[in-house]
Amino acid sequence: MNSSAAVKPASRSSLTGEGYRQLRQYGAVALLIGGLVLTVTNGMSWGYALGGALLGLLLWKPLHGILVFYSAISVYPVLRVISISLRPTDGLLSRSLDIIPPGATFNSFVELFTEEEFLRWVWNSLTITIAVSLIGIAISATGAYAFSRWRFPGRRPMLIFLLTTQMLPASMLLIPIFVIVAQLNLTNNVLGLVLAYTSTAVPFSIWILKGYYDTIPPDLEEAAMVDGCQRMEAFYKVILPLSTPALSIVFLFNFLAAWAEFLVAKVILQSNAVMTWSLGLNELIGTFNTDWGKYAAGSVLVTLPVLLLFMWQSKYLISGLTLGSVKG
Amino acid sequence: MEFSGLSGEIILGTLGQILPLIIGIIIGIIALEVGMYLFLARVVKTKHALPFTLLAPAIIAITLFMVYPLIFNVLLAFSDLKRSTFPCYSPVALGACELDHLYGLDYAIKNFTDVFFRVRDGEILGWGRLLRTADSTFPVLLGRTIMWTVANVIFHFTIGMGLALIMNMKIRFKGIYRALIVIPWAIPGVIVGLTWKQEFHAQYGFVNVLIQALGGQAISWLDDPAAAFVAVVFVNIWLGVPFYMVMLLGGIQSIPGDYYEASEIDGANAWQRFNRITMPLLRPIIIPAITLDVIWTFNRLDIIFLITGGGPQESTNILVSALYNAAFGPAATQQLGFAAAFSIIIFLILFAFALVWITTSGGLKEIYDR
Repeated sequence: MNSSAAVKPASRSSLTGEGYRQLRQYGAVALLIGGLVLTVTNGMSWGYALGGALLGLLLWKPLHGILVFYSAISVYPVLRVISISLRPTDGLLSRSLDIIPPGATFNSFVELFTEEEFLRWVWNSLTITIAVSLIGIAISATGAYAFSRWRFPGRRPMLIFLLTTQMLPASMLLIPIFVIVAQLNLTNNVLGLVLAYTSTAVPFSIWILKGYYDTIPPDLEEAAMVDGCQRMEAFYKVILPLSTPALSIVFLFNFLAAWAEFLVAKVILQSNAVMTWSLGLNELIGTFNTDWGKYAAGSVLVTLPVLLLFMWQSKYLISGLTLGSVKG
Repeated sequence: MEFSGLSGEIILGTLGQILPLIIGIIIGIIALEVGMYLFLARVVKTKHALPFTLLAPAIIAITLFMVYPLIFNVLLAFSDLKRSTFPCYSPVALGACELDHLYGLDYAIKNFTDVFFRVRDGEILGWGRLLRTADSTFPVLLGRTIMWTVANVIFHFTIGMGLALIMNMKIRFKGIYRALIVIPWAIPGVIVGLTWKQEFHAQYGFVNVLIQALGGQAISWLDDPAAAFVAVVFVNIWLGVPFYMVMLLGGIQSIPGDYYEASEIDGANAWQRFNRITMPLLRPIIIPAITLDVIWTFNRLDIIFLITGGGPQESTNILVSALYNAAFGPAATQQLGFAAAFSIIIFLILFAFALVWITTSGGLKEIYDR
């Protein structure tokens, strides 16, 4: 990316002055060449060339330089996990910073499926996650509509209560839920986890959905309805179809939250009989040993779908979050 | 046939548990709404029949999953529930129970004072230990929690604002930068925590490899208290910047360009435009974002738990990680009655802060008045 940005013709910069700009261009080229020379003299370590290019970019086009630098900080740890998942077993403990490791192999992925119960972990996580997302929507869709459209006694205290639940330390709910789940004999059972997650999913879902309903003009259903009885019809025929984006946002948010959950799962699922992928990968990470490759392979597999989903839907996700939590 | 621990039998088994639950809940909701509406409209004849009907499933769910556990949590603070007394509090007798009463004010007094003080024979000996070492006292942990929260929020805001301002300029490849910068937000927290833990490894983690390549000294990130704290704060900053950048960028883009053009004609410089136009107009976004971030960061323990586990020598624990440890840590420390009291105190601290902050900033006023 550095080189492609560097070839572009210079655009209007915040620091103007023709001579000054030219000076910075020369400086940038000098830094790039310096980096290349250091790379060659140090036995082709491309880090120097990259460093030179980045410094040059910072000098020539500071804004692009900053953005490239921050993008690198954001992305590098991710690339690094991919790189480790491709390392051969005997090369796991390496100080190399290469993205594609020498002797790259998919062995860790194969071992993850054959030596560990990876598919089962993912299956458990998936069913729990989908159940929580569906139940969360089913419970909150109509309630949020009531909060959005009517002024009734108790509305304000209820909304304030929903807001206050966001301040609860996770353990404050987890302690009683753990005791209840243990008393119901639901530990090591996916149902116990579904119940625990639903408790946090519902207030959040109501909040986001209410924010979305608020943006739909009431005229729409008023035009569609004649008397009180048909108000429900208006809700199901007009509002719910219009709210598909919001419903999918809530589904996705609950999905992402439950999919990646770890601390609650660790408490509720204590035996190794039922594990989610987060518990399974945590078992693998123990120390630096051969399992590091398997951990990295598993991370890549559970993260990539979520990452793609997130980037594909990011506009909606973000608008949903701002609607729900900020505009209210 | 079984592959990677998954077989048809297991799939059917899980579905057999989950599907009846989902279907039962949905049928239950419909039945509840119909019954509720008929009751309220025909029998009680209230004009609020419809909204209360629509709210009924949520109210029942919140009562069951939130209000009841919270009340139960208060009750637990009045109990002596811990690993060894668990059988006493179980509806099914699991073993011998040596307690003569299950709930009582005496337990509550002990649980709440234990959070702050070490008491023997009615005499206060000093600050109580919330973890194993003598350093893990309430004021120390509270101070560290405040440091953790303030450091995170300040860096989240400044870096996020800087990036948002740059991204708002006419600049190429905006879409690519944006997609790359939000990546940390999309990665599951467990993976973030575990991966960074490995990367802070003194010898093989890339952080030290990079530092040494640049001519620096290797740092034993996870063995040195100060370095470990810097490490967890760094990772949490890395995680939180995308949220701010996205929120602030959305806000900046919604500011009409006329304001800037007008101020430019009046001769305002970049700093004046930022200070007099951008900041005031962004207030409705900044205040709630900071409020949420303070609450989230104050309560966030997964990063600390996964990267340092609170160590070395319990030096990176904050209040909520000490709480998690007291409730669910090693068997010896599992004291749920004490932890329940501790959790109430943590919540009250945060609630008091939120109350003061929200009333002084007025940032969330519109939320329930719409």
